[in-house]
Amino acid sequence: MITDEIETYSDTVEEAAPDEACTKCTACNTVCPVARNTEIFRGPKYLGPESERYRDPLEAAVTAGLDLCSGCKLCEVTCPSQVTIQEYIRRAQNKGAQEKGRTLRDWVLGHTRLLSRFGSMTAPLANFGNRNPLVRLVMEKVIGVHRKRPLPRYQWLTFERWFKRKRAPTPTVFRERGKEKRTVAYFSACWVNFNERRLGEMVVHVLERNGVAVTVPKQECCGIPAVVNSNTDLARKYGMENVKSLSALPPDVDIVASSTSCGLMLKHDYDHLLEIPGAAAVGARVYDICEYLWMLHEAGELSEDFEQVQTRVLYHAPCHLKSHGIGYPAMRLLRLIPGVVVEEVDEGCCGISGTYGVKVEKYDLSMKIGSRLFEAVKAAGSDSVLADCETCRMQVEHGAGARSAHPLEIVARAYGYR
Amino acid sequence: MKADIAVVGSGLAALVATRTLQQAGRTPVLIWPGLSSLYFTYATVDVLGYADDTTAQPVEQPEAGVAQFIADHPEHPYAIAGLDALRSGTDVLTEWLREAGFKWQGSLSRNLLLPTAIGTPKPCCLVPDSMAAGDLGRDEPIVFCGFSGYEDFVPELAASNLTRAWGRGDRWVRALRLALPGFEPGRLFTSIDLARSFENDAFRREVASSLRAVLDDSTVRIGMPAVVGLTHDSDVHARFESEIGHPVFEIPTLPPSVLGLRLFDRLRKHIQETGVEMIWAAPAHDAELSDGRCRRIHLKSAGRDQPIEARSYILALEDTVDGAMRAGVHNVVDPFFHQVLAQHALPTERTDESLFKPQPFASIGYRVTNRQQPTASDGTTLAANVFVAGGAIAGYDPVGTKSRGGLAIATGYRAAKEAMAA
Repeated sequence: MITDEIETYSDTVEEAAPDEACTKCTACNTVCPVARNTEIFRGPKYLGPESERYRDPLEAAVTAGLDLCSGCKLCEVTCPSQVTIQEYIRRAQNKGAQEKGRTLRDWVLGHTRLLSRFGSMTAPLANFGNRNPLVRLVMEKVIGVHRKRPLPRYQWLTFERWFKRKRAPTPTVFRERGKEKRTVAYFSACWVNFNERRLGEMVVHVLERNGVAVTVPKQECCGIPAVVNSNTDLARKYGMENVKSLSALPPDVDIVASSTSCGLMLKHDYDHLLEIPGAAAVGARVYDICEYLWMLHEAGELSEDFEQVQTRVLYHAPCHLKSHGIGYPAMRLLRLIPGVVVEEVDEGCCGISGTYGVKVEKYDLSMKIGSRLFEAVKAAGSDSVLADCETCRMQVEHGAGARSAHPLEIVARAYGYR
Repeated sequence: MKADIAVVGSGLAALVATRTLQQAGRTPVLIWPGLSSLYFTYATVDVLGYADDTTAQPVEQPEAGVAQFIADHPEHPYAIAGLDALRSGTDVLTEWLREAGFKWQGSLSRNLLLPTAIGTPKPCCLVPDSMAAGDLGRDEPIVFCGFSGYEDFVPELAASNLTRAWGRGDRWVRALRLALPGFEPGRLFTSIDLARSFENDAFRREVASSLRAVLDDSTVRIGMPAVVGLTHDSDVHARFESEIGHPVFEIPTLPPSVLGLRLFDRLRKHIQETGVEMIWAAPAHDAELSDGRCRRIHLKSAGRDQPIEARSYILALEDTVDGAMRAGVHNVVDPFFHQVLAQHALPTERTDESLFKPQPFASIGYRVTNRQQPTASDGTTLAANVFVAGGAIAGYDPVGTKSRGGLAIATGYRAAKEAMAA
């Protein structure tokens, strides 16, 4: 009798949400930026929890349509039942790739760190090539990278080499905090290391200015480019390296990241999606840089002798920042600085989603998704947009013709950094 | 993180509470447990449609109806929040809708009677302009227009039910179906796909001209599923109306409701752009209590629990879906104070076998003081600076009385006022 069966269960409540937790409410489909902009994508509900019920580890993966998911995670942000929609999609995609083999482009875009290292070593040449129409045409034909998509500029001097050469700050810059001072391990990530060293320099400057000692731990790619290019296996390999290196840090060292998506990998996806042993303990120590500075502010440890910065800027909140579940610490921080007027442009996803908008068949869709944001930026009559995520910044610059920077740029300026 | 007042929730109660706080010069933080119930409900604001679960006679004057309802049910959440809270909260909401660029109609003094997707007349208090032409108090005959392949709205069903309910005879209600360009039979599509297509001028004009071609009566109004534009509210609707030359009214469909999506997206965006911080994707739980006050609540942020330390808290939640309570086999427990809200020998005691009867689970909720503070089962206040709003208050089932919106407004407004004083 069914009632007898029920009686034997305990009264505990499940914490994790399995695919059965999906109530088919379709909330995810309504917010999905891809589903809102093309009818060829059936949306996260169908490709995630609904398909998951039919997925069998012994049968070949059905991957049709999975590549259209951009990985923005707005479906998970939206789900009232906390169903891990993205994880179903990414695992199925990885399984399909294991069975059918990976494309050259998946391999290339999944190995961005390798690519960046090469690009950085050959910086002038790589940058020339990335801007040469003929090279771009060949790239489009051979790898499938859209010729109109501006690619990041590489720097010969990497952040890590800059940091090693940098003279250690004199002990007097470190304020005493009780007995011990704060130390952070900065997960600079590939972007800062190979493309935007200046952002890393500002992170170091701002933290040291606040009496926080900075170290740069040994690190690999966070793995997100591999995750979204059908290769969670490779991402797991990178992730294990990072967890190993970050677990070895002394227990009182906080980990700080300045890339929204890399930070989210460390905080959440290593443990949940990639199931890396020891990742939960590392994730609990990770902070976004603005989240960390706000925490210093609330603890009364942030030096707030800001110079006036007369500027009116727009702020775009990256989708992955929403997944952090920390609100918008950058906006709070900027409002502490005299002279700064910051307004949010809330137009949803910018459309690029990392390597998604780079692909030849996704470029137009990516620009269509971002078009509402571009129009809002143009209409707001401001030429600078702040965003925590580097690919959001690339997309806003490309689509809206605006200048874009990390919010820390303004904070650093208020501390006199030029 | 520190905050002035933390509002947990994403539905109408949370939005009205947040807006009330913002208007009073406070700086609330809105903590979002996931998508709002506004996406799933009817997307009108219903204050009181029926005086009780059994009557078929709709309430004509919602404000007077609520006053009588409070007199008859002194323990009901409406009675706790009070009629003044309903009035003031409705003012806050209607003013906000106007400022956010919405065109809505209606007031607390009169209910409109609008046909639902299955053709039953439903009393509604505040409605978007795009629905208002459905008012059954008006005299034009109605043509329900469905679309081939779109099964969320069956015009023939709506017409046959409304013919019976409206009592004006066959000639007053008709049904027709249009084939839409690009939506061939066999294609799987949703109201979202249709709504997006209606924003396209060429598509909409083609639909308008094929609709005009089959209409032979110049006096009719058209009832259509609510897919006339995804985001731009009455703009697309007004253009479509002038392209057809007949009044057009939208009818909310099965979830996700495009009307709810338009409303919630716009209000959320507006409140953020006017400076309210929203914390996405962080379900709230565990209230830390000391000396009869809540010191912190915890959020499940990525990687770790994040404490929120506020002067006061508003829990504007509803049920098990948005995290207001968690249902085990025997007990329903709240995640903040870990109180047992209901106990059952068998879970089946929470439901009635008939879908259309009041469901016992709907009334399960937080016991509150007359200031909407949560209490233990013995009636003692759990936290003097926490206020409950919306459907999570015990003893409340909005379904039969069609009062979800009004109750959200009244309890949301009252909670905001109390939170400011606490």
